[in-house]
Amino acid sequence: MRAYAAAFSMRLKMELQYRAAALGGILCQIFFGLVLIALYRALYASRPQTLPIGSVVTYVWINQAFFRMLLSWDTDLLDKLRTGAIAYDLCRPVSLYGYYYARIAAMKLVGSLLRAVPMLLFAILLPEGWRVGPPVSAGALAAAFAGLGLGLACVTAMECVTMGITMRTIDHRGVMALLNLLMVTFSGNLLPLTLFPDSWQRVITLLPYAQLLDAPIRLYTGERPLSAAPGILGLQALWTLALAALGLWIWRHNLRRITIQGG
Amino acid sequence: MSYITVTDLGKTFTVRKKREKGGPGREKTLVRALSQVSFQVEKGELVGCIGPNGAGKSTTVKILSGILVPDEGSATVDGRVPWKERREHVRRIGVVFGQRTQLWWDVPIIDSFRLLKEIYLVPGPAFEKRLSELTEALELGGLLRTPLRLMSLGQRMRAELCGSLLHSPELLFLDEPTIGLDAPSKLALRDFLRRENREKGTTILLTTHDMEDIAALCPRVMVLGHGRKLYDGALTGLLSRYDTLRIAHVRYADGARPPALPPDCALSREGDTWQILYHPAQTPTAGLLTLLQSAGAIQELTLQGQNVDHLIAAMYEEMAL
Amino acid sequence: MRTLKLYLHSMGMLLRAHTQYRASFALQTLAQLVMEGGEMMAVLLVVNRFERLGHWSGGNLLFFFGVMSLTFYLTEFLGRGVTGAFPSMVRSGQLDTLLVRPRGLMTQVLCAEIDPRRIGCLAVGLTALILGSRASGIRWTLPKALALLEAVGLGTLLTLGLFLIECVLCVYTVRSIEMVNALTYGGRSACQYPVDIYPRPLRILFTAVAPYALVLHVPAAWILDKPLWNWPAWTAFVTPLAGPLVFLVMRGAFGVAMRHYRSTGS
Repeated sequence: MRAYAAAFSMRLKMELQYRAAALGGILCQIFFGLVLIALYRALYASRPQTLPIGSVVTYVWINQAFFRMLLSWDTDLLDKLRTGAIAYDLCRPVSLYGYYYARIAAMKLVGSLLRAVPMLLFAILLPEGWRVGPPVSAGALAAAFAGLGLGLACVTAMECVTMGITMRTIDHRGVMALLNLLMVTFSGNLLPLTLFPDSWQRVITLLPYAQLLDAPIRLYTGERPLSAAPGILGLQALWTLALAALGLWIWRHNLRRITIQGG
Repeated sequence: MSYITVTDLGKTFTVRKKREKGGPGREKTLVRALSQVSFQVEKGELVGCIGPNGAGKSTTVKILSGILVPDEGSATVDGRVPWKERREHVRRIGVVFGQRTQLWWDVPIIDSFRLLKEIYLVPGPAFEKRLSELTEALELGGLLRTPLRLMSLGQRMRAELCGSLLHSPELLFLDEPTIGLDAPSKLALRDFLRRENREKGTTILLTTHDMEDIAALCPRVMVLGHGRKLYDGALTGLLSRYDTLRIAHVRYADGARPPALPPDCALSREGDTWQILYHPAQTPTAGLLTLLQSAGAIQELTLQGQNVDHLIAAMYEEMAL
Repeated sequence: MRTLKLYLHSMGMLLRAHTQYRASFALQTLAQLVMEGGEMMAVLLVVNRFERLGHWSGGNLLFFFGVMSLTFYLTEFLGRGVTGAFPSMVRSGQLDTLLVRPRGLMTQVLCAEIDPRRIGCLAVGLTALILGSRASGIRWTLPKALALLEAVGLGTLLTLGLFLIECVLCVYTVRSIEMVNALTYGGRSACQYPVDIYPRPLRILFTAVAPYALVLHVPAAWILDKPLWNWPAWTAFVTPLAGPLVFLVMRGAFGVAMRHYRSTGS
């Protein structure tokens, strides 16, 4: 267990080194958030919806703030997988999957917290109609935090699956682009899932992509009541376990192939 | 006025370093890459430029080829200031960077050459003539349809040279051209450069870490260190200053051993061959030979100076580089 | 003329280089198509839920999206040297090899890279343009066609100019600056929608600083017979000149920056 903790904290320090780059990224992300909110406000002005605009604004801010949790690749690992250099890591006395799971989780946690905290602080200070709203209740806040934690676990498991698939394809860039598109679309980054057609929402909220940020945001804004929280958190946990199992299976399979073929 | 005239050239870089801990601020340090460098090169000369990493060799070449603008001093090539009349200047020069390519990676090199023809606006017949000349001299004939990425390092360097000579430049800058090449490739390259210099009268300025390049090619050598010019003259002159140690190998016919030698000589044995390190200033070579002959019939005797690389290392050390 | 010839020659060669790895190229082009298709789907979903945006109909919105998409990805296709490759040219020292050649630096940077995979995005943009035009019931005339061509053509110059800001900063700092994305990629995603829907600060930003409003929206709105801010017809042909203006200013700034270029490596 200590080895995984070390992998986690090492990655944490590395991420912290890029503070200057993070600042540029935050300002950029804030700008994107403002533009999106301006757009949705204009749309609401022409045709109000049952879902209050405040929920949409909060949705956009939280989604933008945690953008780095969804899309950030461990390029170092990707290179190792592509070149077969991962074979050298086999001599470490730890489970490779566990080691990289911890590393990716650290990267995503720090990368997103580093951006999310200042962004959300900024978004709280904005005028009414632009600002990120408070949670509907203390219970909702707690549920949202739990959901966010499970979302991190789930997105990490998902990325491990992606990395595993990457090892087997001729050109990873094409596959990655397609997976990115799925991520951006069905996680609510392109357009809040709450604005998708209602019939679509019944299906896409069950997909793993909706478990990452959409589910905790809905708990936070009260769009899903606190009584639904156990079901939502349960679904998140279910997907996390399923994806982790799938990832573990793919990694084992791939690594066996590497050791047999000698890289 | 000389072909290349450099007077009191200076260039300072500001290096921003991240602070060790905390704080968004950065430390600025000024690094003088060149200061007060002056020299002249005549048309048709072949000049080698050596010095340890960070000595200012590349900065000098980059200023003279119009890439960098100096902070102080002046430089003219054929009466032009490189960074002010960049286009007119570079039309007449060729540059080979040993570690970066100027050809296109994924296409056959002939396609790269044809694009270079377009860039330098070389007329068709002149291009064809020059291309066949160069492909023959550089033995590229069979490789023209090969993409650069499929070539060996030696082939790649030959292709680079060909590319930078297609427009028949009067002046050629070579930045570490032999880096990473195997022995036959190095020899062939030196041979080619010597011929290009002699037959076409191309002025060549070469920076290198490889003393063999200098010894084989350059009658004149410049040493740079810490951004200053430390030596400018013939290679032999430079070597004689630091050439303080010699090595003699001797083998006797009847298995005899050398007599007692003066205290500054160091004796060691490899099989039946004896090696003697001595300082000619203290023990003249003729005196040593007389001594050695006194011990028995010498079957084989060789005398050699120190390896050039050792000399340069000694020189850098003395100049505190 | 000689510059154009050189550019076409370079384009041909780069195109051949890119299409050497055929399967990979096809897959990546497809990926681009799907990505931009996703963006278009977002517009369609917005239209599905909200039906209109101010006085702009769903078809109008699709038309605006198509104009922006064509402009932006045409720039990325043809001007990849400026829009993407420049920071790595500085870092790898490739810029040095361009500087020792007797041609304009800007020409050579543009000649150094193209991104033909962007035809995937262009296909989506064109589709949106056609669908949007149909749905909006545009009756095409020669002046309207010319206005569209002018908008897209000069829009690419504007986009190049905005990306040049990043190049200028990169000459000084050697790193690529994420902040500038707010104007380039931010400009693209904001100005997929007509500028008059935004609050005042954003309107000013996209009129005076990154004038997509003047270059794309004024002519596009005129083509839709709903002139922006009720400006007269001639403005549809004149305001896009802001595009080349931005380009020229930034090109000048680039020239100044290059005097401070410090090269990298040994």
